[in-house]
Amino acid sequence: MKVFTELFIVAFYTVFVQNLVLSSGLGISEAIRVSAKPGTFGRIAVMISGFSVVTGTLCGLIDMIPAVSGVSFAVRGLIYGGVLAAVFALVAVIAKFLFGTSDKFLSTLGIAALNTLVFAVPHINNHAAYSLAGCVGSGIGAGAAFVLAALLINKGSQLLKENEDIPEVFKGTPAMLFYVAMISLAFAGFSDTNIFG
Amino acid sequence: MNKTPSFKDVFLKNAVIFNPVLIQLAGLCPVVAASSSLKSAVILSAVAFAELIAVSVIASALLKKLSRWIRVPLYFVIGLVLICPALWYVETQTLAVLTMSIKIFIPLIAINSVVAVHCEQFAVKNDVKTAFLSSAAAGMGASVVFVATGALREIIGSSSIGGILLNLPLSFKGMTLPFGCLILLGFMSAALKTFIGKKHPEYSAVHSSVAAKPGDELNEKENVSEKEPEEIPLPAEEEIQYSVPEEYARIRTEEEIEEFFKSLGLDFDEKGDEK
Repeated sequence: MKVFTELFIVAFYTVFVQNLVLSSGLGISEAIRVSAKPGTFGRIAVMISGFSVVTGTLCGLIDMIPAVSGVSFAVRGLIYGGVLAAVFALVAVIAKFLFGTSDKFLSTLGIAALNTLVFAVPHINNHAAYSLAGCVGSGIGAGAAFVLAALLINKGSQLLKENEDIPEVFKGTPAMLFYVAMISLAFAGFSDTNIFG
Repeated sequence: MNKTPSFKDVFLKNAVIFNPVLIQLAGLCPVVAASSSLKSAVILSAVAFAELIAVSVIASALLKKLSRWIRVPLYFVIGLVLICPALWYVETQTLAVLTMSIKIFIPLIAINSVVAVHCEQFAVKNDVKTAFLSSAAAGMGASVVFVATGALREIIGSSSIGGILLNLPLSFKGMTLPFGCLILLGFMSAALKTFIGKKHPEYSAVHSSVAAKPGDELNEKENVSEKEPEEIPLPAEEEIQYSVPEEYARIRTEEEIEEFFKSLGLDFDEKGDEK
């Protein structure tokens, strides 16, 4: 029961309190790009959650090895990157040669696996000293945070497209950046951040 | 015949018109999350610049023939292999003091989308020299944005520049947070759009969309012709090969069509079915 409670709390914290995409800016480029394709949200969110959970848990296990716990950030980055690349390669090879998936699907898999959000999860787990349950919760939360961000950005981009009052020079990318900034500000409020201090 | 583009053209297109950060919205993570001061912005931009050039050149020289799903992970692995030893050297062999966010974000730069986007759009489609020039230009474009954002965020958010206090009467801490950076980027993007609209109006229509990319200007032209079809051009007179009498060769109206079928001994109703 304690394990599930920790898992749930970490996942909830990762999605709503410290939304990794909107509060920390991790994977924000991918979220904006994916938001233009609502049909792929669910698939990519599941992939991101899967890769975050597996990579985060494996890296959490590796961090428990005494020889690894004290290494520099550079070596840690190399270890985490190696784990992520190995997990992606394994999944891609299985998908390609056992299930015969298309190259397009594998490209989507690559976008979901190899982005700053997934790569940052093991670093965050290490920094926050999460247990294995926390690592799993953090991974699930990362995927959910991504899909929440992509959904909010998608809805906003539709409203921005329909809004004729936006001055011509702010249409497109500038308006999108202002909109994402406003959502990010809202999430800063959830984490009780003082912006005038 | 392929003409090698000049550096000016390559620079203009990669650094300004399709700026990786302000126009293509790539590499937002490092700029939003880690460039909250001038020092961190300079370090991140230097790392990103070097990595972009190195990976682009390798991609252009060696990775062209591989499938996209193999290439993209390789950009990440190559970037990581280049960056992490450099970070290890700085961490252990020099006296440079790096902040925690820099230590975490330098490895994350290996995976930043500027590299993947640039390599896929330019490097694997061009020779090594062009890939080098285009990546240098894109790197410069991104670095200028990184440094300008870092400097402005530090001035407005912390009343200092490069760690030197400025004693400004007002400071706004929110500028050091991601939302402050996104607002700054929004204004910078609008300023760049205005500049492009005035100096290069041929690209201004492309930039009304979010995350415009090279090639969109071609699609834009195609879309315009699809949406607003003008008169469909007829083939030149000498190219037309008719199997009908010449007097009916250029029939246009329904009456003329009906008259033509009647002359052939056929009679059609309104739906075009033979009676």
